[in-house]
Amino acid sequence: MYEKRLAWSVLFRLFHWAFALSIMVLVATGLYIHYPWSNSVIEGSRSFVVAKVRYVHFVAGFVFISALLVRLYLWFFGNRQEKLWDSAPVTPANIKNLFSTIGYYLYLTDRHEQRLGHNVLAGTVYILTILFGFCQVMSGLWMLYPESPFWGSWGVSLLGSQAQARFVHYLIMWYFSIFVFIHLYIVIWNDVKDPEGLISSIFTGRKFFHKDTIS
Amino acid sequence: MSRIEHEKEIKSRVSRRSFLKGCAMAAAALGLSDELVPKLAEAAASPKRPPVVWLHFQECTGCTEGLLRASHPDIATLILDIISLDYHETVMAAAGHQAEEILSSTIDKYSGKFICVAEGAVPTKDGGIYCKIGGRTALEIIKDVAPKAAAVISIGTCASFGGVQAASPNPTGAKGIGDVLGKQVINIPGCPPNPIAFLGTVLHLLTFKRPPELDSLGRPLFAYGRRNHDQCERRAHFDEGRFVEQFGDANHKKGYCLYKVGCKGPVTYANCPAVRFNDVSIWPVGAGHGCIGCTEPNFWDTCSPFYERLPGVKLPGAGVVTDADSAGKKILGIAAAAAGIHAAVGIGKRLVKGNQEEGK
Ligand code: HEM
Ligand code: SF4
Ligand code: SF4
Repeated sequence: MYEKRLAWSVLFRLFHWAFALSIMVLVATGLYIHYPWSNSVIEGSRSFVVAKVRYVHFVAGFVFISALLVRLYLWFFGNRQEKLWDSAPVTPANIKNLFSTIGYYLYLTDRHEQRLGHNVLAGTVYILTILFGFCQVMSGLWMLYPESPFWGSWGVSLLGSQAQARFVHYLIMWYFSIFVFIHLYIVIWNDVKDPEGLISSIFTGRKFFHKDTIS
Repeated sequence: MSRIEHEKEIKSRVSRRSFLKGCAMAAAALGLSDELVPKLAEAAASPKRPPVVWLHFQECTGCTEGLLRASHPDIATLILDIISLDYHETVMAAAGHQAEEILSSTIDKYSGKFICVAEGAVPTKDGGIYCKIGGRTALEIIKDVAPKAAAVISIGTCASFGGVQAASPNPTGAKGIGDVLGKQVINIPGCPPNPIAFLGTVLHLLTFKRPPELDSLGRPLFAYGRRNHDQCERRAHFDEGRFVEQFGDANHKKGYCLYKVGCKGPVTYANCPAVRFNDVSIWPVGAGHGCIGCTEPNFWDTCSPFYERLPGVKLPGAGVVTDADSAGKKILGIAAAAAGIHAAVGIGKRLVKGNQEEGK
């Protein structure tokens, strides 16, 4: 028998999908800005491809920023699973979970803790992802507002020059692409290994627990 | 009037006119109104204006050459006029000990009043022995002269940020003047810098007794407040997506955007497209060559390879220098392979052990 339990609030699920969709758009448009492979050699076509792709990148960028801010809020004011320390490797129990999850993922053991929130390995990577997200925002806003003294002085003190900002921005794009890939793989793998409804939980907010594992 | 006197008269009138024209150009670059031109001229011509001491360190003298050989005679005259070159190693008449005496007497006599212009980086490794003038290291000279100056101007990227001698691996520990002194100075970077940026700054100092507004890297905003990319004549091609794919191709001949062949205009703060060089309305992009980012800190490291979009990346440990593209793709490939193997192991284990869950 299974029991249905609420894991993720509506706001959290909104964050997840805004984040996920904006990342997909940002990676696609970012790659195009990095290497605009199309070459509209017809003059006067008024296609403005690069300008438009940049525009989409910036709109998606602001969706991304909003999603990040929501996640930041939920770190402190979300429900128990959503809070920062629930899945950060900070308590002995969490550190134990981090290593047992690694063992589980490496097929060393089939035993694993049933958690309503993230396992700690996932939680740690998500924290890293949010931090990288902030790096993208810092470098992105400096590139977007190159003449703003505010972003300029932040940018110079953190990154040194716009050349470096662009470079870091580009490298972190690779982090996000690789993250998305591994994230999807692991989520599907988990769903196959342990059908607790992990994938549907990010739509419905609910996970399913074996009655006998609930203590 | 005798012929000779007549010629003298014309000459002085011409030079007065060209002097004023130079002031007008500087005022335009500074964004000042026409009405201030006489003020600038007055400050520049005043016999009481502070002397300028010009120090050369680790450099190629390109900045001096760039200023003095400005094809614009007005600019060159003006520069030679305002800089009462009491000490400028390239153009002063004195030499040897006599020159060094002039330096020490100038900085003593005008202590707190003179303007110190430094050209070139200062090596700091091994006690700074890699650059010595008159028996003293560059490090000693700048630390002696700069604190007595009313203002310190670093001319060129070497003096501003270290330049080519500070490029990795920086064998002599070269640093910019601001870094050596541990305080903010006025930086006029560029390789070489535009004479107008220098002139505007000096005239501003002489006229208003304070430096123009600076950015967080010490560069005057009037000249370095905007990126080349945002004022480039090829920008419409960029927005439309019309790019040069290779130097010399049909798109290059049509004057399309140089982004894909490594133009660093999008990351470079300068006024090259607006002010241009040599009075013939030219700047690199205008001539079909990308900007190499010469006004930016560490541009030798962060803007090279000059003909590629983004800098090369050093993979820690491996020491391999490759471009970010292939590094990223490789890591993504490795991740995909790892996921494939991981899934295969899972399926294999299930095949061997059978699905225990079915029994539950
Ligand atoms: C996951 C998040 C993001 C990814 C993966 C991403 C990716 C990229 C990539 C690959 C580039 C091209 C870099 C190059 O080759 O020079 C780029 C450029 C840029 N991005 Fe992002 N970006 C993200 C977030 C943001 C955010 C939040 C902003 C701020 C609103 C932003 C603003 C910009 C700007 C202004 C540029 C430069 C465009 C230009 O000057 O043509 N990005 N981005
Ligand atoms: S040529 Fe360079 S500066 Fe000009 S629009 Fe293209 S990328 Fe920008
Ligand atoms: S176009 Fe770029 S590289 Fe050339 S002088 Fe200007 S800032 Fe320097």
